[in-house]
Amino acid sequence: MSDSQKLQALTQEFQNIQTELSTVVEARQKLESQLSENQSVQKEFGSLGDDAKIYKLVGPVLLKQEKSEAVMGVDRRLEFINSEINRVETQLAELNAKQEKKKIEIIGLQTQMQEAAAAAE
Amino acid sequence: MAAPQQQQIDLNSLTIDNLAAVKKQLDDEIEHLMGASTKLKKAQDRFREYINAVKAGIKPETSDKPLLIPLTTSLFVPAKLSDPEHVLVDVGTGYFVEKTAPEAVKFYTAKIKTIETNMADIQKVMTQKLQNVRVVESVIVQKQTQGGQ
Repeated sequence: MSDSQKLQALTQEFQNIQTELSTVVEARQKLESQLSENQSVQKEFGSLGDDAKIYKLVGPVLLKQEKSEAVMGVDRRLEFINSEINRVETQLAELNAKQEKKKIEIIGLQTQMQEAAAAAE
Repeated sequence: MAAPQQQQIDLNSLTIDNLAAVKKQLDDEIEHLMGASTKLKKAQDRFREYINAVKAGIKPETSDKPLLIPLTTSLFVPAKLSDPEHVLVDVGTGYFVEKTAPEAVKFYTAKIKTIETNMADIQKVMTQKLQNVRVVESVIVQKQTQGGQ
C-alpha cells in the first residue's frame, strides 16, 4: 500500500472515530437531562408528606401510586442513569484516547511523506 | 461536556486559520447558549400561564359555574368542576402529584425561580464567551494588518 493510500485509510478511520464520538456525546447529554429531570422529581417527592396523592402516567391513563413506591421508582431510575453515565464516560475516554492516537499516527505519516518528497527533489 | 479546555494558549502564537477556527467554535457555543436561553424563557412563560390558569379557575366559587371543557380545539362540552380545590401537577418523568391551588402556585413559582438562576448562569457564561470572541477578533485583525505590510 502506498503512503497516500495509507493516509487515506487513516483519515477514514479518524473520521469514523469522530462520528462515533459525536453519537456518544449526544447520548451523554441525553443522560444528563434525564438525570436532572429525575433529580428534580426526587426533590419534589422529598418535600411531600407521606399522605401525598401521587399518580403515574401509564400510557394515556393516570394510575394512583403509593408514595413509597413512587420514591423507590425514581431512586431506581436515578441509580440506573448514574451507572449509564459512568459507562458512557468510560466509552468517551476510550474514544478520545483512540482519536488522539490516530491523530498522532496521521501527523507522523504526513511528516514522513513531506520529508520523502523533500528528499526526492 | 467534552474534554476540559482549561489550558492557556497565547493567541498571538496562533495562525489566522487557527484563530478563525477558535472564533467559529466560540460563535457556535454562543449560538447554542442563546438557543438554550430562549428555550428557558419559553418554559418560564409557560409556567406563568399555569399559575394564571390555576389562580383564575381553581377556587371554590368555580364549582357553581358551568364550564366548557375543550375536547378538541373546536369542540367543547359543558361540565362542572367536582373538586374545585385540587389540581394534578406534572412534576416530571410521568409523575403527577395532587396539590391544592396555592400549593400548585408555589410549585410553579419555585420552577420559575430555578429557571431564573439557570438563565443568570447562562448569561454569565455568555458574557465571558462574547468577550473571548472580541479578543480573538482583535488578534485576527492585528495579524491581518501585520501580514498585509
